[in-house]
Amino acid sequence: MKFLRHLAAVVFVVAVIVTLGMLWAHVSGGVDTGLGPMRVPSGKAFGPIRANLIGARPGDGFHLDDTRNLIRTCEIEAVLAAVVITVSAIRRRERRLRRAAAERYM
Amino acid sequence: MNAGPPTSLADRPVTPSRRRVLARTRLDFWLDALMLVAYTLAYSLGFTGIATHEWLGIGLGVVLLIHITLHWDWVIRITRKLLLPGGRERFIWLVNLLLLGSMTLCIASGILISEVALPQLGIYLPGSPFWREVHNVTATLTLILVPIHAALRWRWIAGMARRFAGWRPGRSR
Repeated sequence: MKFLRHLAAVVFVVAVIVTLGMLWAHVSGGVDTGLGPMRVPSGKAFGPIRANLIGARPGDGFHLDDTRNLIRTCEIEAVLAAVVITVSAIRRRERRLRRAAAERYM
Repeated sequence: MNAGPPTSLADRPVTPSRRRVLARTRLDFWLDALMLVAYTLAYSLGFTGIATHEWLGIGLGVVLLIHITLHWDWVIRITRKLLLPGGRERFIWLVNLLLLGSMTLCIASGILISEVALPQLGIYLPGSPFWREVHNVTATLTLILVPIHAALRWRWIAGMARRFAGWRPGRSR
């Protein structure tokens, strides 16, 4: 029962986000309604990374001969995770040292 | 399984409530791992091909709903505490909110521009360049946020991985 209540709340939040997206499309004239020129959101800032989404291959199933895309995605994720973990570990160490120093002076 | 008296928290006798907690933790861990692998595969469009990409995306949508539902208590607890001092949980909350928005829009726009999955179900939607671009931008934003989201909980992930691998510090296997 609790799960269903929470699921309903999550579905509601997701519906709000999708509705906001639809409104965005409507306001920016992004969806072709025949009322005017279409403007699409610019994704130029992501140029180098989003190359993965370009060059989609048709057909079903995995293309095991082309693992470059997969390796690149894994590399991006690994680098970002490593940065966050490093920063988090440094900050944790600093906090611990500060606490130890404060205890020494007390 | 545990011979002799309990020596640590991990060696406590397994009561029904503890068993429930362990089962829930295991579910969280494997569901999160599944989502990470699924997203990594779905983003690698050249590797998966369009059909697998689309079905993975739709599956991710369902798993995302379950994932947030399972963590709804955390969402409510932290949302209530947002005005109190303490930066870390607030930062995690913000990353999670961004990720929810970005992943939701990514999956929704993916459904709207579907070329294989929905037509297979007999549903035809008019794709638009707007939703295609939204899909590209939010997919990339999600790619950035997913590892950050996971890495912010790396201690829990490492702990769980160690536990499932049966390894405990200071104890030979």
